[in-house]
Amino acid sequence: MQDLLLYCTNGLLLGVIYALSALGVSLVVGIMNVINFSHGELYVLAGYFSALFARALGFPVVVAAALAVLLVFLFGLLVERTLIRNTYGNDMASLIITFVLSIVLQNAYLLIFGPYPQKPPNWVDGSTHLFGLFYYGNQRLAALGVGAAVIAGLFVVVKKTWFGKTVRAVAQDREMAAMVGVNPDGVNMFSFALGCALAAAAGVILAPIFPVTPTVSVGVSLTAFIVVVLGGMGSLGGCVIGGLILGLVQNLGSAYVSSGYKHFFGFFILLLVLTIRPTGLFGRKQL
Amino acid sequence: MPRRWTPAFQILMVVGLCVFPFLAGEYWLHTGILCLFYIMMASSWNLLAGYTGQVSFAHAAFAGVGAYVSGLAAIHFHLPPLLGALLGMAVAAFLGLLLGVLCIRMGGIYLSLTTLAFSEMLRIIIDNEYEFTRGTMGLSVPFLLPVYSKTAAYFLMGLATLAVLYAIRVIVRSDLGTAFRAVQNDETAAASLGIHVVKVRLAAFVISSTMAGLAGALYGHYHQLITPEILSLNLMFFVLAMTVIGGMGTFVGPIVGAVFLEFLSEYIRIYGQFHVLLFGLIALAVCRFAPQGLMGLWQRRVRALPS
Repeated sequence: MQDLLLYCTNGLLLGVIYALSALGVSLVVGIMNVINFSHGELYVLAGYFSALFARALGFPVVVAAALAVLLVFLFGLLVERTLIRNTYGNDMASLIITFVLSIVLQNAYLLIFGPYPQKPPNWVDGSTHLFGLFYYGNQRLAALGVGAAVIAGLFVVVKKTWFGKTVRAVAQDREMAAMVGVNPDGVNMFSFALGCALAAAAGVILAPIFPVTPTVSVGVSLTAFIVVVLGGMGSLGGCVIGGLILGLVQNLGSAYVSSGYKHFFGFFILLLVLTIRPTGLFGRKQL
Repeated sequence: MPRRWTPAFQILMVVGLCVFPFLAGEYWLHTGILCLFYIMMASSWNLLAGYTGQVSFAHAAFAGVGAYVSGLAAIHFHLPPLLGALLGMAVAAFLGLLLGVLCIRMGGIYLSLTTLAFSEMLRIIIDNEYEFTRGTMGLSVPFLLPVYSKTAAYFLMGLATLAVLYAIRVIVRSDLGTAFRAVQNDETAAASLGIHVVKVRLAAFVISSTMAGLAGALYGHYHQLITPEILSLNLMFFVLAMTVIGGMGTFVGPIVGAVFLEFLSEYIRIYGQFHVLLFGLIALAVCRFAPQGLMGLWQRRVRALPS
């Protein structure tokens, strides 16, 4: 019982972060119909940046994390402008370009940061006695809280603000949105960078718990894609539910079946979704 | 190239390729064999991605399937490697059919995601079931032929490559090939002309997986050691980069790309392990500035020349 609760808490934490990372993919798919295969690499990049700023330059951890996310956001703007923009309407070209970009970034990290895991310092120390049953690291609780807060913030931005309205307009009908004065290219660029920034947010939140290496990115990308397919392409709510499901399934599966197969459970879910309900839990609805 | 030169050029090619193993040293012969493997992989991937527009990330995984099936059959059932390669092809085709049925209906992005997940999962299984597959230690398998000879391996791989290229040539020029391109250009229009879009895509997927299975099996038995590295995204990336740099959707493009990148990687190896990064940067530049690849650049130059 005690173990089960512990695994569920771990699953909840990972689920929230999976959801956060997958929201970035889902946002970009919904608006631009582009899948960013280098999503995981941006997560890793933010992890490295936050470790670098906090350890080498001595910034406070929160500043280092915020700066890392900001830099990845700017990098996202650059990538969209230089590589993605002239592939609009050609889904295959953007797939290939982002895949190549992911390999380039992985090898660049290996060259720059080396193969060893790196982690930024913890935000908080100590642990809390949960449910009167087990001790749980404060850093993990903080990650859970911050992750949930960022997701809530994103929903407010997309559902309530003027920017969110223009984004939803472009996702629904690009030409109509352009007709009423929205600049679709600008929205694309901004949302692509926002998607990258969400990967970065997931990266800085998880890096103190799971140190980053150049190759963890593949797992991060894959889990994000599985969550997006499970929740339904382009559905933000579906991402959150999908992320939580995947987090729980992975943790319970690796606890009770085999930890080597952790990523396998996600693949199993993907197969199940594709055979039974290819549109995912929440289909392709309005954003 | 003017048309009347073509026959002479072809004869020169064939003679050159036949003489190559006797002139080249051990090292360049090995490089030549690797080139043949990459030509098979890139050309068959191009059949799928370049002609029908489906970007599969499981091509290296199917090569891995071919290699492991053939290798395990040789170890456990003492099947001769050449028969094992056929078995590997069959299993790759079967898995390709299953995977294709599952994800081709959804098309586009779904296919890419599912194939990527498939290849990663296969790698996880092989890593974890080390009692059976020897995991990352690698599986030692017998050589292609009863006696060890690099020259013989070269000619065997060369024959397989010719067979694959010939099959691709025939398919591309047949009605099926026309259907491939119709589906790539406009799915709806193709369907309205009575082309069964899903079946055509599935055919391309299965054919290309089968060829990858063959290439992988021969490669594994040539190396005599099969590791999960063959299923890795790195190999997938090489195949993709070769096709993209050479020119997607052209017959010669992947061949040019494979030979170019393989020889390039041999030359820059002395500067350290930068070749993956360099290939990536070249591929990005090609995607951005010359989406038709080297073949596209060549054709543009030929067309610009006064005739």
